[in-house]
Amino acid sequence: MVNYATAAIDTTSVMRGLVSTKRVPLGSEIYNRLLETLYDEAASLDERRFDDWVAYIEQDISYTAPLRLTRNGPNRDRDVVRTMKHFDENYGSILMRTGRLSKSAWAEDPPSRTRRFVTNVRIAECETAGEYEVVSYLYVERSRFDNPHNESITAERRDIWRLVDGAYKLARREIIVDQSTLGMSNFAIFL
Amino acid sequence: MLHNPGVTLNDGTTLDDLINRDMNEVSLRVMNDKELYELEMERIFARTWLLLGHESEIPKAGDYVMRDMAEDNVIVTRARDGEIHVMLNVCPHRGMKVCTAEAGNAQAHRCIYHGWAFRPDGSFIGAPIEKEQMHGNKHSKDELGLKKARVHLYGGLIFATWSKDLSFDDYLGDAKFYLDQLFCRTDNGLEMLGPPQRFVLPCNWKIPGEQSGSDGFHTLTLHRSLMEGGIMGGTAESIYDTAPGMYGVDVSVPQGHTLRCLEAAQTFKMFADVSFEGKSTEERLNLLSPPGITKDLIPQLFKNLSEDQVNQLANIPPQVGGMFPNILIAFIFAPRMDGGASGALSLHTYVPKGPDKVEFINFIFAEKDAPEDVKRDMLQNAIWSTGTSGTIEQDDADTWPQIMRNSRGHMSKTMTLKYQALHGHERPEGWVGGGDLYPGFTKDDTQWAWWMAYYNLMAEA
Ligand code: FES
Ligand SMILES: [Fe+2]
Repeated sequence: MVNYATAAIDTTSVMRGLVSTKRVPLGSEIYNRLLETLYDEAASLDERRFDDWVAYIEQDISYTAPLRLTRNGPNRDRDVVRTMKHFDENYGSILMRTGRLSKSAWAEDPPSRTRRFVTNVRIAECETAGEYEVVSYLYVERSRFDNPHNESITAERRDIWRLVDGAYKLARREIIVDQSTLGMSNFAIFL
Repeated sequence: MLHNPGVTLNDGTTLDDLINRDMNEVSLRVMNDKELYELEMERIFARTWLLLGHESEIPKAGDYVMRDMAEDNVIVTRARDGEIHVMLNVCPHRGMKVCTAEAGNAQAHRCIYHGWAFRPDGSFIGAPIEKEQMHGNKHSKDELGLKKARVHLYGGLIFATWSKDLSFDDYLGDAKFYLDQLFCRTDNGLEMLGPPQRFVLPCNWKIPGEQSGSDGFHTLTLHRSLMEGGIMGGTAESIYDTAPGMYGVDVSVPQGHTLRCLEAAQTFKMFADVSFEGKSTEERLNLLSPPGITKDLIPQLFKNLSEDQVNQLANIPPQVGGMFPNILIAFIFAPRMDGGASGALSLHTYVPKGPDKVEFINFIFAEKDAPEDVKRDMLQNAIWSTGTSGTIEQDDADTWPQIMRNSRGHMSKTMTLKYQALHGHERPEGWVGGGDLYPGFTKDDTQWAWWMAYYNLMAEA
């Protein structure tokens, strides 16, 4: 049973980074192709090609963004809280969100101009053949209206990408944002 | 109308210049005035009850969460005897933050600066090296505790105030009859489903505050995507003809709390084509249970609420509204994308962080006795529609900073906000709840009531 209380933090709350130890080395064929996929995926979002973006996503996707909480003492590193989330999406809800963006979604109309910077990419093999854990750092700059100051966010993404018919598809993404109080005025964009 | 001298700004502007009660207009300047903001801190936020969280967040002795009462940082704790305390997170020694974490468990809160320590009930334990009496000799130890606010639990919600005399009953007034239907309806009450979502917006707290005074109008335009998604019934083409969700009974009380009560039969049409006609209260509750209420919990409604309250909950339940000054209530029917009904229970507070900054805090709930899968479902629904990524509130959060930006212009700030679509109050036949009632199509009455509550508190010097 999930313990929803704030003070009691579940044991998974520290999990970050790679879990598997079977590393896919930098510069290898798989590493390069996955990196290229991450870049292309980021471009599809920055260029607002949502159909292209959805094409990267598997039907069984789990797309979540847990909360961060400032903690101290023995719990100082248990700061990823998975009982509450900023995103809690499945394939259907992602279609609902991208569908909404093509209509009267005033939060993105006029659209914000975004740049997603994907770095520090580390990859390992999952137990299931053809599945890869991909951990990356994400830095998003978001320019809105005529505001000369961008909104920005940094996060770690813990993904699982699956090789399907010669292309990599996103099966899981957990976005671990760094702020406990977000400075971005909404998450009308994907991370 | 009598001139009210309660507020006079440095340039001679009075409260009556800012809030024109004859014309039902508010100067845009109120959204961007530093002097007014300072007065609000004292006359509103230090004088009324503020929502800080829910007791389910701190179930065990020593549990605490850090929250804000306007710009004052406080620690909300549970002491050894189970009592909940709210105290200023300011060390009486040199002003350091005593608690630096947002949540946790501690039997003593020790200031990291020089080591003064306090119990979860705020009392002073001592300073290091007791024999040298580091805390001096001008105050006795029981004068050196953390400054405490008064606390009241309502349906498990933790409210606190710096006011010495305002009773919680006087604060709620006639809104209690309606709010009980949301917060006090089951044996074990509500449970928070995790720590709140928090984000900061560049706007004055009154911009979301007045919208939470039950602004019904903005639903059809700003939240048009609800219609396009079929979530409100009807289609994008028919919305202005059918105006779904716009008819009901709006309620306000002089304390500034407001609610929109929407006919369950109307809501029901969005889900299924079954008539509500001639059905008993119990049958209605079973056909379309209020958001968050499972079939198993229905008998508890009859146990915890009066007959009048259950009837209202079955027929024309309160669904959205606000509690003065800075709380939004969204207890909404939320159809699932895979068909079927679900719900979202969330409360927001809009915590002022300067004249041009507000922290939006989103607390998400389910009934404590609901099964795990229902809680899971409600959490997901509340995340989809409200808060940081919510498809409803994305659009709100994008609008408010634009109003804020306009409040800076020399000419713009002389513009007025207009609350002139007024219905006037009128009591529908057979209605048992109190307050001023505005049946029919939603109008500006409740938001004007919010401003009058603001006016009255600000005018009281
Ligand atoms: S400021 Fe807290 S002990 Fe000195
Ligand atoms: Fe809204």
